[in-house]
Amino acid sequence: MSSSEQPTVSQQDSIDSENTTHFGYQTVEKNEKESKVASVFHSVAQQYDVMNDLMSFGIHRLWKRFTIDASGVRPGNKVLDLAGGTGDLTAKFSKLVGREGKVILADINSSMLNVGRDKLRDKGLVQNIEYVQANAQYLPFEDNTFDIITIAFGLRNVTDKEMALRSMYRVLKPGGRLLVLEFSKPEHDIINKIYDFYSFNILPKMGDLVAKDGESYQYLAESIRMHPDQETLKSMMDDAGFEQTSYKNLTDGVVALHKGYKF
Amino acid sequence: MSQIMHQQVLCSVLEKILNKALSLNIHGLQVLTPLEQKTLTLELAELAFPISFTINQQAMLVTTLTERSDCQLKTSISTLVELQKEQQLTELIKQGKLDILGDIKVAQQFANVFEQLTIDWQSELAQHIGDIPTYKLSQFSLWLNDKITFASQQIQADASEWLVHEKRLVVTESQISAFNQQVNEVTREVADLEQRLAKLSANVFSISNQENY
Repeated sequence: MSSSEQPTVSQQDSIDSENTTHFGYQTVEKNEKESKVASVFHSVAQQYDVMNDLMSFGIHRLWKRFTIDASGVRPGNKVLDLAGGTGDLTAKFSKLVGREGKVILADINSSMLNVGRDKLRDKGLVQNIEYVQANAQYLPFEDNTFDIITIAFGLRNVTDKEMALRSMYRVLKPGGRLLVLEFSKPEHDIINKIYDFYSFNILPKMGDLVAKDGESYQYLAESIRMHPDQETLKSMMDDAGFEQTSYKNLTDGVVALHKGYKF
Repeated sequence: MSQIMHQQVLCSVLEKILNKALSLNIHGLQVLTPLEQKTLTLELAELAFPISFTINQQAMLVTTLTERSDCQLKTSISTLVELQKEQQLTELIKQGKLDILGDIKVAQQFANVFEQLTIDWQSELAQHIGDIPTYKLSQFSLWLNDKITFASQQIQADASEWLVHEKRLVVTESQISAFNQQVNEVTREVADLEQRLAKLSANVFSISNQENY
């Protein structure tokens, strides 16, 4: 399917039937998506940080900084950085929770986790960080464990997002909060058009040139378009049990930060 | 760019500059040790958001988080400069220019860090361009500094000469003190006159009372 043939939201609903889901614009079996996403991230892991800086012109660092500020993290907090990849959020959280706190960097993909672990250790961040290979749908933690859970640019790759949100809700402590930083829908048409052109024409070429993997970056662009928009994700969080859910658009809605509490 | 992004750009740039400056400090990073895990929050009148400085593992984090602050200062940028003089603290609080929440020692320790910050620019520059160009450059900057100081003093003197004596737009110090003396004299005379008027009106009041009886 080309960029001009993007599925609409209603088409997406019909695509996500009981046994099938979407992988970019393709419809695949649910059990197939996990391995397909895994192969994308095994392929891009080594160049992930460089590509993030290139693709977003470094703005992803500001989005992540805002996520940290919005988390209201305190010394002694226990934080789960889910789909934490190369550990940008973990690095900052680790400094803010201090020695009494703990940050768990979790990712389903072993290659991403290894890159993240090496990067953080090279920075001397070892004291209060643990690494766990985990599927967001089946979080291997006890109920009411974390003060804060963040998932940055990870939720759209999860096969069953509703199940993942319920799982996050389960492991959050009462009073804890979930922050979902994810690509979303731009607020203005003109930005949407520029963004579409950039995502489908420039991004895959950059991926091909730098990471020698244009296909993975084509998937990235497609998966962003298939991800629920701001209001849909907000209602998904409500359905999972989160309260006082809200979102803030960043860079005209190219990215949105959703926040919800468990009481 | 939205306000959120402006905030994050400012915090990010501040964090980079401060950590770079601290890493170049000739006294090393030990100055940060007493502040480990301490946070100072500034709420400046000029900014619509707070800025927090946290020390962690001999580095400074700059965020807009206020949840973990050990000391919060509500003030303005101009008052911040005055804060260097410790004896002015009470006066600034009385004037409503400064509000302190939490442990003031933390704020003073942060101020000490910046006061002790000394960077040997010459050796830093020499690493990049070599010893001789650095020496030449520093000699040139000293010469330039002397010239600029001399020129600014000359301009200041010439300008005051022109304003005071030629154009007579500004009065001299002696003229001001003479004027002040005259004002003081008039004030004294007015006070004397007031006293005499009060005495006279008291006399008039007592005479009219006696006539009534």
